[in-house]
Amino acid sequence: MSKAGALALFRSGGGRGLPLILLAAALLALFHIEATPLANLRAVHFDRYQQQMPRNREDEPVIVVGIDSQSLAMHGQWPWSRDLIAGLVRHVLAGKPLAVGVDIVFAEKDRHSPEILAERLPAIPRSALLALPDPDRTLASALDSGPTALAIVGLDNVLPGSKQPSRPLPIFGVADDLERALPSFPSALASRDMLETAASGEGLINASPDRYRSNAEGGVLRRVPSIGLVEHQPFLSLPLEMVRLALGGDAVVVAEPSSQGMQAIRIGDYRLPTQPNGELLLHFGRASSNYYLSAADVLAGVHPPEMFASRFVIIGFNSTGLQDRIITPLGESLPGIDIHAQVIESLLSGIALQRPFWMATLELVVLALVGLLLIAGTPVVRPSLAIAGFMAFATLIVGAGYWAFHLGRWLFDGLSIALLLVPVFASLIVNRLVAADAERRRTREQLRVSREDTARVEGELNAARRIQMGLLPDPAALFASEKRFEVAALLESARAVGGDFYDCQMLDERRLCLAVGDVSGKGVPASLFMAIAKTLTGTATRRESDLAQAMREIETELARENPEGLFVTAFVAVIDVDSGVMTYACAGHDAPVLVRAGSCLRIDTASIGGPPLCALGDYPYAVASLQLEPGDLLCLFTDGLTEASDGRSQLGERGLGAVLGKAAANNLQALAEQLRDQVRHFEAGIPPADDLTLLLFRWRGTINAS
Amino acid sequence: MAYLKFELSAFSLMNLPTREQSGVLIVSVSGRVDHLASEEFSLAIEPILQNCRQGALPVLLDFSGVEYISSAGLRVLMLASRRAKAERGVFAVAALQPLVQEVFAISRFNLIMPCYVSIEAACKVLGS
Repeated sequence: MSKAGALALFRSGGGRGLPLILLAAALLALFHIEATPLANLRAVHFDRYQQQMPRNREDEPVIVVGIDSQSLAMHGQWPWSRDLIAGLVRHVLAGKPLAVGVDIVFAEKDRHSPEILAERLPAIPRSALLALPDPDRTLASALDSGPTALAIVGLDNVLPGSKQPSRPLPIFGVADDLERALPSFPSALASRDMLETAASGEGLINASPDRYRSNAEGGVLRRVPSIGLVEHQPFLSLPLEMVRLALGGDAVVVAEPSSQGMQAIRIGDYRLPTQPNGELLLHFGRASSNYYLSAADVLAGVHPPEMFASRFVIIGFNSTGLQDRIITPLGESLPGIDIHAQVIESLLSGIALQRPFWMATLELVVLALVGLLLIAGTPVVRPSLAIAGFMAFATLIVGAGYWAFHLGRWLFDGLSIALLLVPVFASLIVNRLVAADAERRRTREQLRVSREDTARVEGELNAARRIQMGLLPDPAALFASEKRFEVAALLESARAVGGDFYDCQMLDERRLCLAVGDVSGKGVPASLFMAIAKTLTGTATRRESDLAQAMREIETELARENPEGLFVTAFVAVIDVDSGVMTYACAGHDAPVLVRAGSCLRIDTASIGGPPLCALGDYPYAVASLQLEPGDLLCLFTDGLTEASDGRSQLGERGLGAVLGKAAANNLQALAEQLRDQVRHFEAGIPPADDLTLLLFRWRGTINAS
Repeated sequence: MAYLKFELSAFSLMNLPTREQSGVLIVSVSGRVDHLASEEFSLAIEPILQNCRQGALPVLLDFSGVEYISSAGLRVLMLASRRAKAERGVFAVAALQPLVQEVFAISRFNLIMPCYVSIEAACKVLGS
């Protein structure tokens, strides 16, 4: 899949498409968990519950009489002659136990029966041999003397020697549909008829280790059948049959049906929950050797018979080589007969693990709900919160499993739910992080674009500034060889471009035009108007010898195209630099300062001053004139100078006068810069609010006229 | 005293309290009408201007609270005055502080709009 395709899948449905697909897959996996590796994990997880909380085995109602190595060493190889077994049974029954179970099938005639001996020993007279006691008969007689149960093994196929056991449950009604759910065998391996008849009952000893066992050693025994059918005849398992016999043999056995099959087995007043197929999920307790006795010791009468009183006794194998060993969920390797003991204990205490059919549905619902909650919540909360929330959910679900087990031995598989949620959540959080990363990239890109824009605008503004400054004449270059007067100029915009302007040009050999203007407002709009105003001032004064007429022309031209209603204050003077006669007009501008013999005067504009250019549009400007004296210094400026502020007050005209009076430099350009510096000093670091323009003129007098 | 509050743009904080006195609508302006404030001033004065025409009450700006006015502020006044003139309304200003008076004097704004020394003086002339 291409990167874009993968991203598209991630982002589909607002980033929820893939998680929904994964959740659906998780639900499917949980529904068919037996077909996934999760089944093993679940089994191990359930085993862990038992390991954490094993069944308490304080009471020991069962004694196991084991035919162990010691017994074999003392009484010879297996199989023992049945009169020896009979002796064992008699020893046990002497103690009046509740019931005795024999975990051995006596299917064929005893090897030491007179008939077999007669065939094997033809030299001995047959009648003598036939007079010997029959070991089978001896065992039958022993079994007959107490509540005893024999083992049967349900077979899937009819084998030679197999038969229908003859002691099914006497009172047990099985519904047809329930019968289908229970394990059913066509035939069985059972003891000889004579023994079956002598015993009080028969019980199945089939174990059902979990499916995925690779070999007998590796399989963990988690469940055992409680009841099974042989040719439609019901048989309890051997330990349960022993309890039934202990209750007097007429105890009612009931298989409680549920919609799925069976839900519990009840014997008399004892009840255990089962799986639908009647299997018990055993809650194992830790094994101990306390209740194991050696058959040899029992035969030798080592233990007093009272030991067996009011106990269940199981006789079976407990010897390496003979026994079938199983592994319990607790990780213990035990002889198979130990399971019978645990089943009896479980029934007496009523404790078995519970996993009813609806538990799987509950797990599916929990997975679906939590999954949907994650899908809904993760995209809208902070990733750190989402991760914390997921961890909390996972812990809660797994913890709920332990809690349910503790509460009622319920088997709730929180671990599989938590594990199946991982891919769902991972895709959500990855999508979240991918989105966050994309957002970061976008922001970075926007910042870059914005920086470039800023740089471009700055670049354009700088270009505009260069052009604007280029519009202003350089008096130093213009009047370099001039002897009659000096001119210096300085313009500093508050922004990149401004609305101030000045002009100084020779109209002819004698007449010098000086002009200072200030467009209302600041920045780019003012600067565009400034360019027009400056140009118009230059052309009008050159073309029109009458200054008043020139002013009117400027206003007319400016006002012609002025939709924004901008206006310009201006002071324009035309000086005859030979005679020193200055003619001037003022359009709403500050009156210039004249420094004559060390004192500052204001040029009188009161009588002839008009409003700013374009304010009215058709004002008849008038002019006035005055005679300059040699050495006179004329200072034209804009309000950037007088209105310079230190944050509290403005510099004002008085301040300007003081500054001008203090200015000592003889060189006009240096003086202009000194003035500027003093204004900036006054402002004390506060950014200038307005453009600042200075135009200085000094008339030297009629030197070359003489 | 009636306050006309206007729905201005979000950044605008300028309120122009108005009152009627002797048949004149008096609008109190205060603070510094500098480059930035002039935009607010322009927006705030807009609804007042809409009613400044022939036959309506003369509008008088009470400038006693104005400490400073920049060229941008003057431009707002100029445009307002021009609009009022076009509608044959009366639009005047009164009670200028010395600093503002100086600006008006320099820029000859008394030629652009009527300026009065005081509210009373203005009302005598403008009032009915």
